[in-house]
Amino acid sequence: MNYVFYIDFAIFSIFATLILTEIMGSILLLLLWNDSKKVVLEYVVPIWEITGTFAVFWVVLSDFAFPSILIPLASIFSAGLLIFLILFVARNASISFAEFFEKKGWLDEKKLYYGYALSSILLGLVVLVIVSTIIGGYGLNLSNYTFNFFSFASNISPWLFILGSLVTAIGFAPIFYNIDKMKKMSMIFVFIGVLISMAFIFIQEKGIPREVLIPLVLTIALPILYNIPQTRNVASNKAFFIAYLSITLFSLNFLVYPTAFGKLSVDSLTTNGTMANAYIIMTLTGLVLLAILLALYTSAVKKSASVLNKIQE
Amino acid sequence: MSVVFDRFLFAFTIASHIVLVTMSIALILLIFFLEYRYLTKKEEIIKDLIKRLKKVFIVSFGIGTASGVVVAVELINLFPGFMTLVSETGVIAIFYAEVFAFFLETILLMIYVYFDGVFKWKYTNIVLSFFVSVGTITSGILITMVNAWMNSPNGFDITSYKDNGIVTGVNPWAPFLTSTTIPEELHVIITTIFTGMMIIASYFVYKYLQSNNEKEKSAYKYVIKISSWINIITILLAGITGSNEISTTLQQQPLKYAAFELNTNPGKALPEILFGTYSNGKVVNGIPIPGLQGFLAQMSTGDTYLPGLSQYPSSEWPPLYVHLTFDSMVVGGVLLGLLLFMIFIYNLMKKDFLKNKFIAYLQIIAGPIALIVYELGWVTDEVGRVPWIVYNVLTIQQAANNSSGVYLPGYFIIAFYIVLIPSTFYIFSRIFNAKPIKEVNKP
Repeated sequence: MNYVFYIDFAIFSIFATLILTEIMGSILLLLLWNDSKKVVLEYVVPIWEITGTFAVFWVVLSDFAFPSILIPLASIFSAGLLIFLILFVARNASISFAEFFEKKGWLDEKKLYYGYALSSILLGLVVLVIVSTIIGGYGLNLSNYTFNFFSFASNISPWLFILGSLVTAIGFAPIFYNIDKMKKMSMIFVFIGVLISMAFIFIQEKGIPREVLIPLVLTIALPILYNIPQTRNVASNKAFFIAYLSITLFSLNFLVYPTAFGKLSVDSLTTNGTMANAYIIMTLTGLVLLAILLALYTSAVKKSASVLNKIQE
Repeated sequence: MSVVFDRFLFAFTIASHIVLVTMSIALILLIFFLEYRYLTKKEEIIKDLIKRLKKVFIVSFGIGTASGVVVAVELINLFPGFMTLVSETGVIAIFYAEVFAFFLETILLMIYVYFDGVFKWKYTNIVLSFFVSVGTITSGILITMVNAWMNSPNGFDITSYKDNGIVTGVNPWAPFLTSTTIPEELHVIITTIFTGMMIIASYFVYKYLQSNNEKEKSAYKYVIKISSWINIITILLAGITGSNEISTTLQQQPLKYAAFELNTNPGKALPEILFGTYSNGKVVNGIPIPGLQGFLAQMSTGDTYLPGLSQYPSSEWPPLYVHLTFDSMVVGGVLLGLLLFMIFIYNLMKKDFLKNKFIAYLQIIAGPIALIVYELGWVTDEVGRVPWIVYNVLTIQQAANNSSGVYLPGYFIIAFYIVLIPSTFYIFSRIFNAKPIKEVNKP
């Protein structure tokens, strides 16, 4: 069993979940500012830095786990990384300024939060493009480490992946932010998103592998749970949702293991020997620290009546 | 040409990033001291000051994080050979440890800022601010470890790597403690705190002189008092650790030392040459102080053997302007020390130095000067290692990305920082001054 890969993928799943929750919130902010502002910002404002830290966590962990692929990847995705950087800086700057900035001329809190929402959605799109390439190697030329966007774009598979993920995220948004009036729509969007994603998996895996059953059931179950009055509170509980979605995403690991980029063996890319031991020791130690910190954070969230009220004091 | 651009771009980025880092470290330390004051004295004015500084800190942290990510991605893009070596050795473990320091800082900061008052334990805020400071400073310590490793690499078979370019014999823990780690850590952390605190002192002296509100003035005065004492202590420690650092450089990187001191030839009882430049094998326009160099390098006179440039092929010499940056840094540090000595005398005599407008104005300009001195220190250390990126192991030329594709993103990043740094300070000022103390305290 390749522990190095599974640890890396587990951290990726948590990072992807966190960024997805922000994207869901961003979609709601852009479409339904008045209805969603309070619930979305209550969640997003204290967590956006933690999401960013998880992004750094996953990137450094991947450097540690797959040292031989680091430089080729940097070369392949140099344009993508630059766009990612611009959006990451725009996201951080707009939300941190929005929290405390008082209206000056045309610039106000709402515009800054819109800036945050737009940059977060675009950031998510960049991540989806990179992930779809890691899964299928679309647009990649591994002999000279280049990425051709037109070649990528000419394939239907990555578009199905991106569209399926986005539609599912839109469906999850009312559940996570507990917007009751959109509960039926949530179910429809998730089902459509799952259908599109299944089409992607069918093309990618040349059939429907049995491993898909777990993520499929988990994904469909969530909007159903939300539409049942007795289980609605559980489904929309943020800690539960984050854990649930992380597990769902983790169960998709078969898409990149044992083969990534369409044809590269993951086992041949992972670190080994003393470096692998150090990787595991440090990860386990770090995760204990992280668990303590997150327990403290969760406890603070539970005790807090309203974060926004505290900020706006 | 692109290697020159790679170097310039990275130097520009890191020099800009450093400004945010020094501010963040000093700010959170200041907040910690203010929390202690509030815990013991319960003054509303201090509570208000903490609230305003917390907002500034969160923006500084947010922008600093984004900037840190830019630096990290730049390292991969501009110096892929270096990052390959890093990820195949224990140096990646240092970066990895940094992530957890970062988590400590981030998560506790979020609780500290956004969930203020949620925990009823009376020590909550001081404990949280303490651990956020620990996270922030630990990040600084870890990234300095990487730099120390670049100066004195270890943790793999260097001979074998130089022969065939393959990393073998890895000890993943060794890079955490190299032969230069402790001296460099001590000097860097102390000077970082010093620089940030000097900037804070400058700003608050300016605000103090500007304000007509007595409540505000007393709050600002308290900040000035804390920062002045920290500055007095840290400038003293900066001198001691700086001297220790130069002794380490003499032992570990003799060529770098020779360039710092502009020693053309090796020998004993060499003069300390202040400023001057190298021309046709000679030093011109320098001010020699006989016998001082050995004393400054190893606290001994006469018998210390000091290295010279002539012992090494000129192709391995770093750019010799490092002598000027080194001397400017030392002279700048001494001048700042003199100012702080005057403030120390005032404090000792229990007199208010702010009543002396001349010293107050000097303190205002001393903040930016401290930042320049700090940047000069980094320029000296980094340029002094040229042509090596990892000393005696990997040259910058070998590590750099020679592709012309770096130009476009590079120009963007330069433009980005030119806008980012001034606008961030503008936002700091707006946020800090958004609600003057007199208004906040109204029921």
